Amino acid sequence: MANPFAHALGIRHLVCGSCNGCEHELNALAGPAYDTTQQGWSIVASPRHADVVTVTGPMTTAMRAAAAATLAAAAQPCVVVAIGDCAAGEGPWAGAPHAGAGAGIELDAAVTVRGCPPAPAAIAAGLAEAARRLG
Amino acid sequence: MIATRVGAAALPAAVWVALRDHEPLAAYATASDVHYLFAGVDGLLDVGAAREEAIPALAATYPVFAWDEREMRDEHGVSFADESDARPLFIGAAGVPPALAAEGEGVTLVVVGPVHAGIIEPGRFTFSTGGETVIALDAQLSYSRRGVEAALAGRDAVAAAPRVARICGACSVARSWSYARALEALAGVACDEASEYARLVAAELERIYNHLFDLAQAAAGAGYGYSQTHLLGLKERANALCAEAFGHRLLFDAIVPGGVGTGVLRDARAARDAAVLLRAAARAEVRALLGNISVQRRFEGAGVLPAEIARAFGVVGPGRRASGGTLDARTLLPYGAYAALAPAVATDAAGDVAARVRVKAAELDAAFELVERALAALGDHAPPAPQHVMPGRGTAVTITEGPRGAETLALACAADGALERIAVRSASFRNWPAVLRAMEGNIVPDFPLVNKSFNLCYACADG
Repeated sequence: MANPFAHALGIRHLVCGSCNGCEHELNALAGPAYDTTQQGWSIVASPRHADVVTVTGPMTTAMRAAAAATLAAAAQPCVVVAIGDCAAGEGPWAGAPHAGAGAGIELDAAVTVRGCPPAPAAIAAGLAEAARRLG
Repeated sequence: MIATRVGAAALPAAVWVALRDHEPLAAYATASDVHYLFAGVDGLLDVGAAREEAIPALAATYPVFAWDEREMRDEHGVSFADESDARPLFIGAAGVPPALAAEGEGVTLVVVGPVHAGIIEPGRFTFSTGGETVIALDAQLSYSRRGVEAALAGRDAVAAAPRVARICGACSVARSWSYARALEALAGVACDEASEYARLVAAELERIYNHLFDLAQAAAGAGYGYSQTHLLGLKERANALCAEAFGHRLLFDAIVPGGVGTGVLRDARAARDAAVLLRAAARAEVRALLGNISVQRRFEGAGVLPAEIARAFGVVGPGRRASGGTLDARTLLPYGAYAALAPAVATDAAGDVAARVRVKAAELDAAFELVERALAALGDHAPPAPQHVMPGRGTAVTITEGPRGAETLALACAADGALERIAVRSASFRNWPAVLRAMEGNIVPDFPLVNKSFNLCYACADG
């Protein structure tokens, strides 16, 4: 029997040196205008509850250990979704002294949503792709 | 700008004199000097001293400079005599700097972060508590530190503008405007009138979407889902208006050196119509929030920032104006179209969450007023393509009133137009110590409420 809750996602968000632009758009997506609770998507307060970990930013030196700990704490299966050009490794701070290769590159994201920042609808498309991958 | 240079020994006296009739802004170091920046009715004041000998630490006397001096010491190797805080400001090879914590029987430490249970930037907070009451709060930030100042140094200054716009997403316009004015000053270029009005519209739209978000978050902090939901809905409409008018929902690159982004505000009338409708809706939702007595009771007395602390810490923006201050870069040192369109500055004396909410509510409506008047002044005159800007050798300091207060930028260009040094002192960098202080004596569960009543950024504070 097909999983009737296959589309539902618990989403944990992990900021790895983002400028907060991607967070504004992710907040917008979770807000009343897009109302993603219709899709069964919710922002969860612990990685233990997460089907998806969304990551933003170039990955800063200071966040690397906490980011790894967050992913290690996530229940499996878990899909990492990279949001934004920084996470994809091609943002404005690539090569900065304390910036890494991109949070999505370093954390092996399965889905990448480009944009600076991507609009809420683009983030939603990325999350829908993550839901498909989780089956 | 008035620049004075003194010997290191004379720095405390020179700063004391400056503070008699100026507001402190920031301090920053170059390879050869330290600079203490102030703003007054006569303009910006730069008190500089050569780094040939140890610089007397001023933070113990003037706490406004506490973070600046630690930054100058850690990042630029300035040696201070009599420094009061030996802890590194930023997370580094030695790990996370120790938190200041209370000690004693019955004191419990509560440590949260850096990853938080929502869509929030990273930071670690250490609460020293006695029961429910917060005795002290310390924050270890810099988890978002990319090293933007070092990453910008050496780049072509004009070509670096999109990077400057992306230091922080939530105060992008204010920083872009500071940056554009600095480069235009060094290039001897004057922005045209239509672009000045367009810049003001962008800056006030940034204030509008931020203040709508802040008010929604304040409602959330008090557990009032009705206002949270409705105000977030209006914030989305504001971001849609930003995209329609300036081609970007968060207004990145709306302001560029030499003017505004090519093609912005092609239909000022449509933008004005949308702003008028949004303003009416915002007024109704703000009335609902301010008119709810039980929510107001939650706001009142929470997170009090006394006026004398706000002044001593050099707090800027709505946080300052809600604690009896009047400091607003738009009226203290009018720039661009603010010379013609002066904002009504809202102030409050209470210094609590309620006061900050009232000030932001008043500023929200005043921002709409400015947007409407600037768009009316613009009429059918679409802003031209940006002028060519070729900055020459020199140093420029600018302040711009962003949603969280004065955004200070100091930069030096080489003769070939490359950035030699850029110092970014954001309103959030300035205000974070005050948030920690405002939590003292409050209960732990009120931290989201008190914190969100300031709603400071991490990215621009971390650098």
